[in-house]
Amino acid sequence: MKEDMILLRDIERYLEGEMSEQEKTAFDELRRTNPLINRQVEEHQLFLQHLGNYGQRQHLQAKLEKIHQQLDMPTLRKQAQDDNQAAKRLSIRRRTITNLAAAACIALVTSLSTIAVIQNVARNKSTAQYEDVRRVLNNIQRSQNALINDMNSKSKAPLNPGTYGGTGFAVSGNGYIVTNYHVVAGADSVYVQNNKGEAFKAVSVFEDISSDLAVLKIADSTFKSQPLPYALKPQSVKLGEEVFTMGFPRDEIVYGKGYISAKTGFNGDTTAYQVSIPVNPGNSGAPLLDSKGDVVGIVTGKQTTSDGIAFAVKSAHLKHLLDEMPKDKQIRKDLNHKSHLDGMNRVDQIKKLEDFVYMVKVYN
Amino acid sequence: MKQNQDITRDRELLLGLAKGEDKSLEIIYSENFPVVLRMILQHNGSEDDAKDVFQEAIIVLYEKVQKNDFTLSSRLKTFLYSVCRHLWLKKVQRTYGLYTLSPELEEVIPATEELEEHYAKDQEFRIMEGAMSSIGQPCQTILEDYYLHKKSMQEIAEKFGYTNAENAKNQKYKCLMRLKKLFFDQYNTSI
Repeated sequence: MKEDMILLRDIERYLEGEMSEQEKTAFDELRRTNPLINRQVEEHQLFLQHLGNYGQRQHLQAKLEKIHQQLDMPTLRKQAQDDNQAAKRLSIRRRTITNLAAAACIALVTSLSTIAVIQNVARNKSTAQYEDVRRVLNNIQRSQNALINDMNSKSKAPLNPGTYGGTGFAVSGNGYIVTNYHVVAGADSVYVQNNKGEAFKAVSVFEDISSDLAVLKIADSTFKSQPLPYALKPQSVKLGEEVFTMGFPRDEIVYGKGYISAKTGFNGDTTAYQVSIPVNPGNSGAPLLDSKGDVVGIVTGKQTTSDGIAFAVKSAHLKHLLDEMPKDKQIRKDLNHKSHLDGMNRVDQIKKLEDFVYMVKVYN
Repeated sequence: MKQNQDITRDRELLLGLAKGEDKSLEIIYSENFPVVLRMILQHNGSEDDAKDVFQEAIIVLYEKVQKNDFTLSSRLKTFLYSVCRHLWLKKVQRTYGLYTLSPELEEVIPATEELEEHYAKDQEFRIMEGAMSSIGQPCQTILEDYYLHKKSMQEIAEKFGYTNAENAKNQKYKCLMRLKKLFFDQYNTSI
């Protein structure tokens, strides 16, 4: 104990430089020879350093404490609380806005996609139920070269039966024919052929997509005009009225009989009738006539989901369409006269009519 | 430009702090404490927590400038703020476990490695503090007066009523030996 204290005193004197030169040399020697003492010296040095650090820090802490005492705490406190409240408000508001925006986006996306899906489904259903009754005459695709050769080699109509077929009927003596727009849509060339087998080249002069009607003009020198035996009935016909049609679902003209079963067409279309009449592909554009032989409509399509339901554009709409055509006054005059077929029996009516109903052949 | 000026000013303040100028310390303290107070209050701390954390951050800063190799790369405010955040994070973790941490505090604060050194020093300080408080009076005061306040043995002898400086010196060595023993017992087991 006593020795330790003496050693400690020596170490301290040594470190503080209080030793005389002689003592110092002796102590250095002692340090060198005695590692235990050397360690003690180093330890003491380390200790003094820690002690110094401790003091420094204590001193600093005291100073900090003093400075802290001088701070105006109540003011700082109030300020901090105000700031925090403002920040909290702001962050809550920001969060609310973010949430609202997200909700709005989701709502928007949901409603839009719902609308899209519903519309898509509705359209699919409609197209599934409705079918145009144009006839696909030949599904085999012919090469365009063959077609061109065919057309060049003959001045008359080509012998091949065309790609699509429908029916058309004359609306004037001088070669205007009405058919369905969907029959001639996208056509490169159109030929019409009557029941006698005479074919004429025709061009589409007017098309109305909304009512699915097209007006063709025969552009062939061999065509001879003749007066029309029937008239266009501008008023709408009554429910249950007996009607008949003539068309070309095959290469021969075909007669069909039925009655007006509803005053509106597919999906409540007011420009058309629903007709209970047998129609087949190829009947598109066929005239619908009443018992007096007046044209009351044009057959356009049928419902696929149930049998015997066909649709026909009302004649009033056709009249309206013809009135709108600026070029030709002939059409109107011809159809305004009284029907010559009134009072005839059906067989005679058909005999008179068949010259004015054409098979429409479309090449594309 | 403004930021550069701020950093220049901050560096001057740090230079003052390194020299131990009270004025610099005071400016640094009063300018930065409100921000830290706000942050601690915001994270459910008390004013005392803010004080403790902030003062510890100042100590960290002081230790750094004492070493001379410290260059301030961000603004002083930023440095202190991030150190405080980090210290508070540690404190919350220690006190409540991981569960009550607010998500904003969980972001890792870049001051981690800066603080490693501090934690070691802090521990040394705690050990010394513990040793000092357990040697009892008058040893504690004698040692503090001699080693920290650099008073001469003569003054100490007079203060404590020793007949001469030599007696006081003997007493001091006894105290010093006890302190050293207490300190190294702790120091060697924990480090």
